[in-house]
Amino acid sequence: MEILTAWLQGLPGFGGMSDQGLFITGAALMATLMFTVMALCAIVFTWMERKVAGFIQSRYGPMRTGRWHGWAQAVADMLKILGKEDIIPAEADKGLFVFAPLLVLLGSLLAWAAVPWAPGFSAANLDLGLFYIFAASSMVVMGILMAGWASNNKWALYGAARGAAQMVSYEIPLALATIPVIMHVGSLNTQDIVVAQQGGILNWFVLRDPFLFIAFWMYFIASIAETNRGPFDMPETESELVAGYHTEYTGMRFAFFFLAEYANLFLVSVIAVMVFLGGWWSPIPGLDFAPALTFVIKGVLMVFLNMWVRWTLPRVRVDQLMYLCWKVMIPVTLLCIVGSGVLMITSGALG
Amino acid sequence: MVQYFQDIYAAVGSALVGMGVTIKHIWKKPVTLQYPDERQVMPPRFRGFVHNDMTKCDSCGICAKLCPVDCIYIETEGKGKDRYMTRYAIDYNKCIWCSMCTENCHTGSITMSHDYDHSVYDRRTLVYEFMDPTQQKIPCHRATREELGWWVEPKAEKKAAPAKPATKPEAKPEAAPEADAKPASPADEPSGDKGEDK
Repeated sequence: MEILTAWLQGLPGFGGMSDQGLFITGAALMATLMFTVMALCAIVFTWMERKVAGFIQSRYGPMRTGRWHGWAQAVADMLKILGKEDIIPAEADKGLFVFAPLLVLLGSLLAWAAVPWAPGFSAANLDLGLFYIFAASSMVVMGILMAGWASNNKWALYGAARGAAQMVSYEIPLALATIPVIMHVGSLNTQDIVVAQQGGILNWFVLRDPFLFIAFWMYFIASIAETNRGPFDMPETESELVAGYHTEYTGMRFAFFFLAEYANLFLVSVIAVMVFLGGWWSPIPGLDFAPALTFVIKGVLMVFLNMWVRWTLPRVRVDQLMYLCWKVMIPVTLLCIVGSGVLMITSGALG
Repeated sequence: MVQYFQDIYAAVGSALVGMGVTIKHIWKKPVTLQYPDERQVMPPRFRGFVHNDMTKCDSCGICAKLCPVDCIYIETEGKGKDRYMTRYAIDYNKCIWCSMCTENCHTGSITMSHDYDHSVYDRRTLVYEFMDPTQQKIPCHRATREELGWWVEPKAEKKAAPAKPATKPEAKPEAAPEADAKPASPADEPSGDKGEDK
């Protein structure tokens, strides 16, 4: 943000602008940029998801639209979805029904603000960055519950209830898993967290100590559940609940859920990169010529890992889901916090 | 408590095994054939759409009579040496690909091709006309065929051994071009349609 306003000030015609005007222009630009990135995510990742799914199942996935490997398939799908009729069920709660997809989208878009793309470059350089991300992304739960309730459809409501239960539960290990890192950094500022991992792959928090390594995988599992993707896609189980909370949605409103799902997927991947995988630092020290690109590439690799898991593992039952969260992941993440803290004290990192 | 840790160990282990299996498949070449671009090579005796070589057919009508579903339509006009074939059509709505016609064709003109993908929008177009009587009628009688330079079925070895090489080379160059242009060949037209429709 500071970089952006400074750059704006340098442009002809913007020099005489007041600080407030600069801030608003910069914020608008940044929001547009973030939204574009988000929409691109949805388009690129739907294509990627279908390709990964295809190759895992020994087939090609989309091959026809566009010349090379059906690259235009996702674009065509988006256009198709925009052309669909917008249906609001007669018995639905209209206000909530219209508002729910916006809230879901808003939740993930807000969280994007604190993502550190490059040194000094994030939409909002907040001191409580990581905390803010978790807080903002938990708004998605409300949106999902709202969508399920407003649809006035039993499947949608089941899906929403499952989604809410799952996301509320898994937010706990998700946040707990990042605590060891926060203890190491001593700050919640996202920029600081990445800066603390400078100096090659061995300084990334995944490889700092064994407890952080486990914490990373705990974060990863929780993040899959957080985005409602397989093997934790209980809220959308196609075989039982039609499509879960977005059963009744069509056209643009459905596209919002879709957009939010893939934006969330990239968001959790990017947070994993930021917190555990060295952010914009390249694995080999001294090769940091394109920080933003490194960051995005790592994020895409994490997304690939997500997809790989989704197309490999079977869906877990609801009781298994809750067992995993409350009886396995939370104790393990707590152990990670204690263990990492003990290691910090014994290794003298606290001075 | 021991069970708890054993469960975690088993779960992580089996998940990793599964991930290993799927990652192997990502790098393998998919088994899919990109159908309109790549095609399966059919076995030699594959029964595809029936093809009738109109240069050879002398409208004896055996195929039509043998056909268990009566899907072959042959129409002729005239008698004796002036008998000409005016229509040869196969109705693929009825055809059951039994191959009775090809096995009993004495001239060997009717064969099973390897075409199989003739999808159409209107089932009336599945009646394939093999010739157009307004272009040229096809002589049926052996003598007329020989006279007009059409292909004739070689006689049994003892009699026709010398006649066969004599008729064939002179008949071929004449008959082939006009016969090729004439019949509504099932291979050309429908596949052309399909290409456009797609």
